[in-house]
Amino acid sequence: MIKIENLEKIYRTDEVQTKALNNVSLEVAEGEFVAIMGPSGCGKSTLLNILGLLDEPDGGSFTFAGTEVAHAPERRRAALRKQHIGFVFQSFNLIDELTVAENVELPLIYLGVGAAERQAKVTRVLEKMQVMHRRNHFPQQLSGGQQQRVAVARAVVNSPRLILADEPTGNLDSSNGNEVMELLTELNEAGTTVIMVTHSEHDARYAHRVIRLLDGQVVLEHARA
Amino acid sequence: MLQHSLLLIYRNFKRFRTTFFINLVGLSVGLAGALTIYLWVHDEWSFDRYHATTGRLFQVLENQRTAEGLNTYGTAPLLAEALAEEMPEIQYAAVATPPDFFPGLTLVAKGKTVRADAKFAGKDFFHIFSYNLQQGDASQVLATKTAAVLSQEMAAALFGTAANAMGKTVEWQLADLKQTVIVTGVFGPIPPNSTDQFDCVLSFDAFKDIMKMGESIDWAQDGPFNTFVVLHEGADEAQFQTKISSLLQRKLATNTERALLVQPYADMYLHGEYTNGVPSGGRIEYVQLFSAIAVFILVIACINFMNLATAKASRRLKEIGVKKTLGASRFSLVAHFLAESVLMSFLALLIALVLVELLLPQFNDITGKHLALAFTPHLVFSALGITLITGLLAGSYPAVYLSGLRPVEVLKGQLAGSVADLWTRKGLVVFQFMLSVLFIVCVWVIQGQLAFVESKDLGYDRNGIVSFEAAGRAQQQPTTFLAELKRLPGAVNASSMWGSLVSTYGAGRPVEWEGRKILANNLSVNYDMLETLGITLKEGRSFSPQFRTDSVQIIVNEALVASLGLQNPVGQLLDNQRIVGVARDFHYESLHEKVKPFIFRLEPQTAGTILVRLAPGREQETIGRIQQFYAAFNPGQTPLTYHFLDEDYQAQYASERRVGVLARYFAGLAILISCLGLFGLTAFTAERRRREIGIRKVLGASEASIVYLLSRDLTRLVLVAIVVALPISYWVVQQWLNGFEYRIALRLWYFAGAGVLALVVAWLTISTQAIRAARVAPTLYLRDE
Repeated sequence: MIKIENLEKIYRTDEVQTKALNNVSLEVAEGEFVAIMGPSGCGKSTLLNILGLLDEPDGGSFTFAGTEVAHAPERRRAALRKQHIGFVFQSFNLIDELTVAENVELPLIYLGVGAAERQAKVTRVLEKMQVMHRRNHFPQQLSGGQQQRVAVARAVVNSPRLILADEPTGNLDSSNGNEVMELLTELNEAGTTVIMVTHSEHDARYAHRVIRLLDGQVVLEHARA
Repeated sequence: MLQHSLLLIYRNFKRFRTTFFINLVGLSVGLAGALTIYLWVHDEWSFDRYHATTGRLFQVLENQRTAEGLNTYGTAPLLAEALAEEMPEIQYAAVATPPDFFPGLTLVAKGKTVRADAKFAGKDFFHIFSYNLQQGDASQVLATKTAAVLSQEMAAALFGTAANAMGKTVEWQLADLKQTVIVTGVFGPIPPNSTDQFDCVLSFDAFKDIMKMGESIDWAQDGPFNTFVVLHEGADEAQFQTKISSLLQRKLATNTERALLVQPYADMYLHGEYTNGVPSGGRIEYVQLFSAIAVFILVIACINFMNLATAKASRRLKEIGVKKTLGASRFSLVAHFLAESVLMSFLALLIALVLVELLLPQFNDITGKHLALAFTPHLVFSALGITLITGLLAGSYPAVYLSGLRPVEVLKGQLAGSVADLWTRKGLVVFQFMLSVLFIVCVWVIQGQLAFVESKDLGYDRNGIVSFEAAGRAQQQPTTFLAELKRLPGAVNASSMWGSLVSTYGAGRPVEWEGRKILANNLSVNYDMLETLGITLKEGRSFSPQFRTDSVQIIVNEALVASLGLQNPVGQLLDNQRIVGVARDFHYESLHEKVKPFIFRLEPQTAGTILVRLAPGREQETIGRIQQFYAAFNPGQTPLTYHFLDEDYQAQYASERRVGVLARYFAGLAILISCLGLFGLTAFTAERRRREIGIRKVLGASEASIVYLLSRDLTRLVLVAIVVALPISYWVVQQWLNGFEYRIALRLWYFAGAGVLALVVAWLTISTQAIRAARVAPTLYLRDE
């Protein structure tokens, strides 16, 4: 589903050039659950941003579902994002001015889904994530665990083929963290590809495969039993 | 999508209440100012455009060469008829006496007497102008020499109703002139947006008889009369212009420097001034000035919106980032931000309408208009249009800026504040304050010039002189009337004249001396006029009944002597009139004009206007006595209405005074809105730097140093604005002052004062916010992290 070859990403300031990604190549098959690990500054999030079409590489190729997208125009990237990719962030990134239901509804609006169908989908996913009773609350009225459930609900509401999770449990206590990991596992088992950036060895155990990065390079890649 | 956007907008308004309030107040006030100015400008534009013939209706003028260049004035009395015969493209042509050509005349019918502003006009006058003829037929009402067309009001005053008046006889009287006429028509009220306002129209043929003008045109003749023409539908206007401009050349068969020109009648209200033979502005300049002010006020309000929207972007980054991540197109984000600003400006419109309704009476007072907030389709569309444009303008920069942010950086909370964006925002603040400083300088200079105008020695003493129009016996026997008037206690001196001292309309006539031709203003006066006005003589003597000469006696001013280069003027004959004295120059026109050649002509029998100098401190009792005396001397006449000469003088500066008052209000608005913006910006700076403030305070920074930290950048911007504004304001006010021949010198304090004022106001605004931020306990800030 995803194939990257010799990917490079360089950050430049006036005086310094930093290679955030250096000749990274990897493949992720449809239905896989991959964890990307490594110390701070190793390029994990950069890689995730490129995979999520939020950022462009400076070199190399990136094929998404058989199409080269490394330098696709923003319009095409936005279209791919809203159709195929769901995002889960460490800091949840729910919009404070929107209620739980409205936050979850947002991707469907951008996809042009009709109002009735939107309501049905939102209800279904909120029930599945067990936050239906909170549908009219604002994010600040929820616990961290609940917020992340809502964020996951928003990520999956349009049934994306790929979920990108950036430290999804980073701001949660262990029990809430475990619940979120269970949710991601369920989604993966239902066929969704999951790529997750994490610091946590515990969370990485949920993945089929772990890719370890150091200084912008893949140093180790191993499958979990 | 729309519903969703509206919901977000509503909640964002709620979340950022201060910003919302600042934007709402700024945009409301800005829109209210702009709408008020729009009403005024629209009214100015509508002047004289309601005639059905507009587009084909022209006034004919004449350019004449004098020593000062080309001068533009009225036309010969018989030109209209001659033009109609000469030029087949003319459908109608008519002559009319200019407005203010006569003092009001007296109409008498059935023992009732009324005062009426009258004009004599040619037959087709009511075909040319749509003056709402209620009784009578446009082709017939002025067909005979005894015809009179009355206003509805006059007809009602004399005969009860308009219909009753038809066919009745009326006698009009003016000085020793009188004529019995028959009411042939009645016209309805003349709209307030008509330049020409009158109560009665009489036949110009009768006027020709009275003035012994003859029947056919003498092309060599000129005159102060108005000639109006209406072209046939589809006539070639350009060709007509060319033909008429060479007409006098052809007719006079000499190399004359006189030429006719035509101007669209509807344009003359706004473009009423001529320099060297071509239109050179007029009221249009004020229309343009105030339109510019309206735009500037709105732009200042829009800038607040832009600045606050981009400043608070840091608080909305997540919303933008998440939406982008979820695949929102740039277009949908731009649409969202524009919807937000347009919605805001429509909210502001509601408040603005209330403000306009509340402020219109005062605005009408200042401008002397009768504007009303009537929801005509025209106003509704314009208001909606202005509001929509304001909303789009205000939202444009934030929309482009915020939608262009990169999602990765936005979600990391990094505002990629590019150098260009930073400069844009700073530039906007500078622009706002630059306009504020410009307005302040303008206000001060206008006030200074008006104070100068009021205190200037005019060469005559305009205080304590009362003037009124004479009628009836007072007009017919001025010598007796004046002699008795002077005997009233409190009346120091008195005299009479034809016309007005401060309005010399149509009184300019060419005079020639040894081949040198100049234009001189004329005033026919009685004995004692110079003494009553307090004009002093440089040489010669004043008019006196003791001296009899074989020709008309005149007194000229110094400017005339200088223009003609007269040596030993006293005793010389100028156009067969004997110069008996030279008066020191005095300002009979406004201080816009330099003192021009002037002639006092002794005509003791002319008494259109009476001037009386009152003893100081006894003005009111003396006026009472004059009124009683006038009524007794003049039985059956309408009671005397008087005004002070000083009021006539002040009236010359009505436009400037209006501009002065309005500039003050709009300067206030500009500063208020700009300061609201600064207030908001400081609040956001303080909020953005909470952590920094907390750390600095923990490390021992004083409150003063925090205030300095927060105020420094914005203060610098205001300083830059002042530096940029000063040369611009110098240029602007210099241009305005150039319109005055006599003007104040521009002093440094006008500019320094404006700069200091802007700085102080800005600093007070900034520091209230900065002090508040500096006083918060540091732990509160750090805990947030």
